[in-house]
Amino acid sequence: MLDFFTIFSKGGLVLWCFQGVSDSCTGPVNALIRSVLLQERGGNNSFTHEALTLKYKLDNQFELVFVVGFQKILTLTYVDKLIDDVHRLFRDKYRTEIQQQSALSLLNGTFDFQNDFLRLLREAEESSKIRAPTTMKKFEDSEKSKKPVRSMIETRGEKTKEKTKNSKKKGAKKEGSDGPLATSKTAPAEKSGLPVGPENGELSKEELIRRKREEFIQKHGKGLDKSSKSTKSDAPKEKGKKAPRVWELGGCANKEVLDYSTPTTNGTPEAVLSEDINLIRGTGPGGQLQDLDCSSSDDEGATQNTKPSATKGTLGGMFGMLKGLVGSKSLSREDMESVLDKMRDHLIAKNVAADIAVQLCESVANKLEGKVMGTFSTVTSTVKQALQESLVQILQPQRRVDMLRDIMDAQRRQRPYVVTFCGVNGVGKSTNLAKISFWLLENGFSVLIAACDTFRAGAVEQLRTHTRRLTALHPPEKHGGRTMVQLFEKGYGKDAAGIAMEAIAFARNQGFDVVLVDTAGRMQDNAPLMTALAKLITVNTPDLVLFVGEALVGNEAVDQLVKFNRALADHSMVQTPRLIDGIVLTKFDTIDDKVGAAISMTYITSKPIVFVGTGQTYCDLRSLNAKAVVAALMKA
Amino acid sequence: MASADTWRVGDGAGGAFQPYLDSLRQELQQRDPTLLSVAVAVLAVLLTLVFWKFIWSRKSSQRAVLFVGLCDSGKTLLFVRLLTGHYRDTQTSITDSSAAYKVNNNRGNSLTLIDLPGHESLRFQFLDRFKSSARAVVFVVDSATFQREVKDVAEFLYQVLIDSMGLKNTPSFLIACNKQDIAMAKSAKLIQQQLEKELNTLRVTRSAAPSTLDSSSTAPAQLGKKGKEFEFSQLPLKVEFLECSAKGGRGDAGTADIQDLEKWLAKIA
Repeated sequence: MLDFFTIFSKGGLVLWCFQGVSDSCTGPVNALIRSVLLQERGGNNSFTHEALTLKYKLDNQFELVFVVGFQKILTLTYVDKLIDDVHRLFRDKYRTEIQQQSALSLLNGTFDFQNDFLRLLREAEESSKIRAPTTMKKFEDSEKSKKPVRSMIETRGEKTKEKTKNSKKKGAKKEGSDGPLATSKTAPAEKSGLPVGPENGELSKEELIRRKREEFIQKHGKGLDKSSKSTKSDAPKEKGKKAPRVWELGGCANKEVLDYSTPTTNGTPEAVLSEDINLIRGTGPGGQLQDLDCSSSDDEGATQNTKPSATKGTLGGMFGMLKGLVGSKSLSREDMESVLDKMRDHLIAKNVAADIAVQLCESVANKLEGKVMGTFSTVTSTVKQALQESLVQILQPQRRVDMLRDIMDAQRRQRPYVVTFCGVNGVGKSTNLAKISFWLLENGFSVLIAACDTFRAGAVEQLRTHTRRLTALHPPEKHGGRTMVQLFEKGYGKDAAGIAMEAIAFARNQGFDVVLVDTAGRMQDNAPLMTALAKLITVNTPDLVLFVGEALVGNEAVDQLVKFNRALADHSMVQTPRLIDGIVLTKFDTIDDKVGAAISMTYITSKPIVFVGTGQTYCDLRSLNAKAVVAALMKA
Repeated sequence: MASADTWRVGDGAGGAFQPYLDSLRQELQQRDPTLLSVAVAVLAVLLTLVFWKFIWSRKSSQRAVLFVGLCDSGKTLLFVRLLTGHYRDTQTSITDSSAAYKVNNNRGNSLTLIDLPGHESLRFQFLDRFKSSARAVVFVVDSATFQREVKDVAEFLYQVLIDSMGLKNTPSFLIACNKQDIAMAKSAKLIQQQLEKELNTLRVTRSAAPSTLDSSSTAPAQLGKKGKEFEFSQLPLKVEFLECSAKGGRGDAGTADIQDLEKWLAKIA
């Protein structure tokens, strides 16, 4: 059913890969990385590429990515669970290899994960198959009916196990006398490795309580040991405590197995159960898994122990606080919640479109969840840093924007380089077109301005005035008698696409280097005008389509760009439609530090901001500096 | 040992500043001998700090070899091949990966190889982070698709060259023309010529580009000699070219052709 499942490090090394069909998984996964993970679109964890749906999960602690791919037409309900299971097992099994900072251990480690994966996959598939026919449960099948039987069996198992436990854990128990003793009674039976009933929820709850209790005892013991050194008699008790830990962790392996069996046992007939027991027998006593689990649960204790300690005992609290300050801990979503809320509001206040701010924060949270923070770094600083990096990443152009270089290329091929300007009304298309022509003239290229705004009164006259001014600045005498700038106009009320075409033909004949096509401003919802624009672009195939947007725009930016892009795609009638290639951000001098529009626009289109208009004169044209914008954005 | 050092320093300086030192010594002896001991202690600590910093900055910060280049040029595989010699499937890198690499020369010192992501939105961020520690930069070029990507390659190379020229200790620079196993691959010689031509035009367009938003940044450094066609030999840092093939001839099992690169690494280590 699955096309592939691959596990790779964020550094790009494929650690393990399962191929369901012969196709290579590299292409789709690279597409996923480039268009989702690197674009900060990591809000939801699925992505569609051609005929495949890809789901992924990030492990930020160990810098791993888990990706599963399957045919788009299938609806596989078990995939999310499968990823989680594989993630957990892989992490626990290869903890030593993936923990190191150096990539060398990743390279030298052998990740022979095939059997484990196939087992997990089979279980997941079976569970989904079983769940499919939803028949009513009989009373005999229900958990309730099994309760008394189970408790009977448990008491028998308890006696044997409880004894060993008690003898070993005596010291610990005395110290943690206020621990939940009542719940501990049922726990050992579960650990003995006999899954008596198919009780998924209960089991994990007990498991949880047991683990918490253990942690608490450990902590309490440590706290006493370290800070007070109360009595000498504590020392042997501490020693005694080590032994049960090993024993308990031995049980942990069984717990893992029980966990894996849960999907199949969830309200299923007895037949599946026996298979499960076989399964447990197959893997339970095997030495390897146990070993690795030992280390894993040890580590879990180490990483988690800051949280519960805060509530328990003053000494433990002190210790925990110190640990929290000095030791490294991993970030959880709850930790980040408040900071992210603040960041989101901050971004919105800086004029970033609201839903983009939400998506950005979501993506940052995804990127940070589970990451181990460095010493002495607070949650706020970590989140801020990550957000800043993401913003720089967004503003970094995805394609090369060197207009002059491309014009030189066109010049060599003896054809004009065509640029089309589009945008809504009054954002400054004509003004910035004039600025760009001035910049091109300064660099020695001749420009033909095509007046394709045949709608607004005075549009042609405006361009004519600009042309006159530019001619005054660059008279033909200075360039060897060659007309550097010229206006191509056909009056009002004509078809814009036709005028543009004629202008391009004219430019080719006259040897102009660049044609700048000025279009009429149009609202993104005006369907006939949008169709006309799409036609203009399809017919003339310009080298560059620039969207002109003002920096004052807030939430509207999203709507404008999305609808312009969609109109170009919908009305183009070709396989690969021309979309917006770049953005001109105008009126940048009016917004002070509310530079959010830059983020909104690049985030939606993932196209670069080619020019920034910063004033009324011809020289007020700038290129964007990502770092400066982000600095302005993050400024409180 | 540290205090002995201080005394020696004092003696050395004594020749020139004898009268001042005498008066100082008198002053000190008049007051209190503890003051002197405190002063000596402070001096010793300072000297140790300076000494330590000197050693630290020289030793650890300049051992990195950065692998840069466009996406899909084979940086990560080259990195893997150098470290293990085996073939490994790779994906687009999201973050950097680093590992210690033992150079196979007689001195046997080690370098830190750092593989940087090549994606457009990440490359400069990571380059900024690691460039100060670079002892050498390996710019990996995909020789097979070079013709198509020449503009992008040149633009990135331009930026990397400008960046590494701005550093205090200019790193050694190598352009590795990877994927020589593919039939259509261009030779290193041809790549060098094309890059020189492309960088020449880039110099023009870069200087003509509109200034950035914060006008504080000064004009970008000039690459090569003004008024002359650009050549790599004009640069203050030595740029070398070599051909390699990280994938090797026959699929996954093929052995890589990276002996030249290994030799180069041994040379600069």
